[in-house]
Parts: sequence; structure tokens; C-alpha cells
Amino acid sequence: MNTHAPVIEVDGIVTRFGANAVHDGVSFSVARGTLAALIGGSGTGKSVLLREIIGLHRPTEGTVRVLGTDMWRASPAEVAAVRRRFGMTFQDGALFSSLTVAQNVAVPLAEHTKIAPEMRDHLVRLRLAQAGLPADAGAKMPSELSGGMRKRAALARALALEPEILFLDEPTSGLDPTTARAFDALVRSLVDNLGITVFLVTHDLDTLLTVVDRLIVLAGGKVLADGPPREIAKLDDAWIRSYFAIRTMVGGSPSRSDGS
Amino acid sequence: MTTDAAPEERFALSPDGTRLALTGAWHLADLSALAPALARLQPKSPLTVDGERLTIMDSAAALALLRALAAAGAQAESIQWRGFSAPHQRVLDDVLKRLAALSEAPPLPRRRWLAEIGERSTVIYRQGADHFEFLGETVAALLGVVAAPRRLRLRELTAQLEQACLNAIPVIILVTLLIGVVFAYLLGLQAEQYGANIFVVDGVGIGMAREFAPIIVAVIIAGRSGAAFTAQLGSMRLTEEIDAIRTLGLSPMQVLVVPRVLALVIALPLLAFIGLVAGLIGAALVADGMLGIPPVAFAERLHGGLDITHVWAGLIKTPVFALAIAIVGCRMGMHVGRDTRAVGLATTSTVVQSIVSVILLDAAFAVLFQELGI
Repeated sequence: MNTHAPVIEVDGIVTRFGANAVHDGVSFSVARGTLAALIGGSGTGKSVLLREIIGLHRPTEGTVRVLGTDMWRASPAEVAAVRRRFGMTFQDGALFSSLTVAQNVAVPLAEHTKIAPEMRDHLVRLRLAQAGLPADAGAKMPSELSGGMRKRAALARALALEPEILFLDEPTSGLDPTTARAFDALVRSLVDNLGITVFLVTHDLDTLLTVVDRLIVLAGGKVLADGPPREIAKLDDAWIRSYFAIRTMVGGSPSRSDGS
Repeated sequence: MTTDAAPEERFALSPDGTRLALTGAWHLADLSALAPALARLQPKSPLTVDGERLTIMDSAAALALLRALAAAGAQAESIQWRGFSAPHQRVLDDVLKRLAALSEAPPLPRRRWLAEIGERSTVIYRQGADHFEFLGETVAALLGVVAAPRRLRLRELTAQLEQACLNAIPVIILVTLLIGVVFAYLLGLQAEQYGANIFVVDGVGIGMAREFAPIIVAVIIAGRSGAAFTAQLGSMRLTEEIDAIRTLGLSPMQVLVVPRVLALVIALPLLAFIGLVAGLIGAALVADGMLGIPPVAFAERLHGGLDITHVWAGLIKTPVFALAIAIVGCRMGMHVGRDTRAVGLATTSTVVQSIVSVILLDAAFAVLFQELGI
């Protein structure tokens, strides 16, 4: 396996909703084992771009390659094969509300592998532990979980099939700062220990400045800046300056909580 | 993805059983083939595991390996790991670190049928008690409206009346008309044998007035409006609208429950009357076509044979049915759990509970009327 080829390649993405162009030639690529974050103001199409990358929304123009497969030109079977190699967590968890947490995590394992049920149970427990959930959380229903635990349960489900890439949509939104930092550390350890590539959309400055390797800034339908967060923060652009100014306004203390 | 070698070629145990060499790709994708082969492994202590020729090692495969070794008697602490590349070693360490916690995981609690029966009975009992409590709250809120009529939400009441009463008329007419047709036809088959055709009018009249129209209309409304109340109020609770009403200093009972209860109590007698008329029209159609009783004769016989007390006995029940349906529907919605699944379950439960309570109330009325000699 080539470990140096990019795992996500976005090339010349144009997205239009009627006359309204959201993206006007967005291009970037993400290398294996990176923790990359996508930021941008409201309405710059971060979530739409994420949906285009994972194959839920067709871009007007341009190509998206995930693990070498063109998500919008490959056959349905090829796309399905790629989908088994990445995981995704949605903003509110999107756990199946009629199943327990353990059953939620077992769904992809039961659907896509032929692992014996006994081994599957152990694997589910490993996933829960990897997502930082206590062992007894498996028997609970999603409605019984707190917001932070629901995000962890969603992460456990996304990890089920041993993904090479994890896509996280606003992973720390709606969490208190302590829980959010613990979640950051968890995501970082997935990258460092398991070699997973993580691509996340976030508004959480603390996440960006503490754990992220690389920042991609979306503005005016294009990639405005791309690089390590500390360097981006120094760039001389009005939007970027005001974005990072919030941080200096509160005196650098991690006391802001992020609303969804 | 590359095709993997046969499971047996992916690991080799040295003849003395103390050295296990791993080769190739070890990952989740073919764990189902690898796991049974691993289970046959007979390692000896002290065991050294060599990972030099591994190309892929993921956490699922590491877990399978560690579990197979543990099952064969080789404890993780006593194993020497050598030759693993840095990323593979990190995956292995990550799983090793969590292994202790995994084995301590409590087994899922097994359901026992006796406990289940007890649990469900308590739930049903509590639900019944809660309905009565909610009935009390509703009556208190209604009295509040009587004391200060300005508190009545007229706009909401009219909107509910339109939905629960006006919009229900077509389906009520359709169903009761057909019931009248079927009922008259069945009675007619019997009556014809004795030449007692005209008594069909008496039978249909009393049956529709006392039982069929009120019960059928109540059941339709339970499925229609009762379920709607639960779904509406349940989603409002989910989106915290009910909390918002409370925070604005308003009473959800006054704003949401009272208009719905009042609307249903007003609507059901009216709908039952419409249902009765439609049922009699259906019967008259059959009487004309099959039994040779023209509509005029039908109306005349109905006038003489159907005592007005039968109509009142039927209609008087309907506000009570309406109250039961509205109370169940509103309470199930107001107290639903905060997830999408709970709203669905509560709506189903509303329909079942309100239909059952309508039938139970009807039985109670039958006993009451019997005692009163009506």
C-alpha cells in the first residue's frame, strides 16, 4: 500500500444552487495520517463540501477522489467498497434510536463482515473502549446518553469497520469545554495510534489550535488558505484575523462553549 | 484491495511452539477467515511473536490475535513482541491497554419473563393512574377557563374544531353509510325468511343509534385525532416548544390541552349524529332495493319504531368517549420521551389505549342503562 499518496483529493469543485455559486473551484488534497480541519464562515458551503466528498451530494463540476476512487464517476459497487473504508459521524450523532449503543456499533460489522457473533461482541466492546465509552454504555439506548456520550457512540460506530479515514461534522459542537477537549485528545490519539486520517468540519478554535495538523480555510467559494493552524492565524486577511481575534479577546482562556 | 493469502500462510508457529511469526496483511476485512485458523494455535510459554513481515495490522486483527493467544493459555503480559514496525506496535499497544477493561465488561442483562410481566403491569398501572391525574389537571384548567372565559384560546379551539370535526365528516359518512348498508343487508336476510321485512327498520334504527354510530365514530376519531394530538404535542416537546410556552409564563394546559379537549368533546356528538343519519340512509338504500320498503315507508316506520331515548342514549355517551380520547392523546404527547422513536411508540399506544377505553366505557354505559331501564 502506498502510504504517501493523498487519501482525499478534491479538484476544481464547483457547486451551484440555482444561480447561487457556493463553490467556485475548490481544490486541495489530504495525505494519509493527517488531522485536517475545514473552516469557513456561515454559508461558505463547508457541510456541502463534506457531503460532496463522502458521496451524498453531487457537485456541479469537479472531481472528488477518496482513497483513489472517483466518488462521482465510479460504479455504485466501487463507491460502496470505498464507503466501507471510511467512517462518518454526523452533528447530532445520528444513532439509530431503536437500537442500543452496542447494537448500533454492531450494525456495520453485521452488514459488511462475516465475523462470528462472539468475536463481533468483543470487537464492539473494543470500539466502545476506543471511543472512550465505559463498558456499561453498550446496553444503553441512545436517548439515555448525554450529548458527549452520544458523540462518542457515533464515533464508535464510525470506527467499527476499521476505517482509513474518519469524517467528523462539528465533532465538539454542543459539548462543554472539558468534554470537548477530551474528545479532541481522543481524535488525536486515533490519528497517532491507529494511523487513521481525520477530516473534520468545525468552529471550535480550541480544537483547531491544539490538535489539528492542517487547516483549510474556505471563503468566497475558494480555498483562502491552507496550512498549519499557527501559520494561518498569522495571515493578513480580514476574515481570518477576525476569526482568530475571538480567541485573544477572551484572553486565551478556553472558556467559550460552542453552540451548534 | 489486494487478495490475501490463505489464513494458514499468514502465521507460522516454530516446531517447539515458542515462536510465532506473522506475515502479510492482518485486517478486519478477512478476520472471519483468520479467526478460526488462529483458534487451532497451540503456543508454548515463553512465547515470542515476530511481526517483522507484517504489512498491515489493524486493531480488530490485533484483538483477534490477543484473544486467540489468551484462549490458548498465553497471557499477554508474558509474550515478547519483536520486529513490529512502529505503527503496528502502536496499534498493538492501544489494544493491549484496553484488553483488561474489555474482559471485565458486564454481560448484557438477560430478560426474565416473570420480571417482564411485573414490569409491564407496573407500567400499565402507572399509566392508568397518570391518565386520571392528567384528567384532574385538565378539569382544573377547564374550570379556570370557566372562571375567566378570556383565557380560552378561541383561535386554537376553532383550528382544532376544523381539523377534528369538519375535516373528519367525509370519512365518517363513508364508513357509517357502508356499515348501515351491511347491517341492513344482514338483518334483511334473516327477516325476509319470516316475512318481517319492516322490522329491519327497527333493528337498524336502534342498533345504529345506541351502539354503532357512537362506537364507530369514536374509534375513527381515536385513530385520527387522538393519534394526531400525541404526534403534535410529542414533536412540540421534542423541539422544546412546550418548554418555551412554559418559559413565556403561559400554561401548556391552557394553550394546548384545553382547546383540544374542548374541540373533541364538541365534535364527537356532532359527528356521531352525522354518522347515525348516514347509517340510516345506507340502510334505507338496502331496504328500498332488497326488501321492497320505499324510503317514505322507511321514514314512517322509523318515526314510529325508533324511540327518541335510543338516540339520546347513544349521543350522551359520545362526550365521555371524546374526553377519554383527548385525555389519552394529550397526555401521551405531553409526557413522551425526548427522542424520535418515543413519539412513534406513544402515538401507537394512544390509538390502542383510546380505542380500548372507548369500548370499556361503552360496556360501563350498557350496564348503567340496564340498571336505569333505558
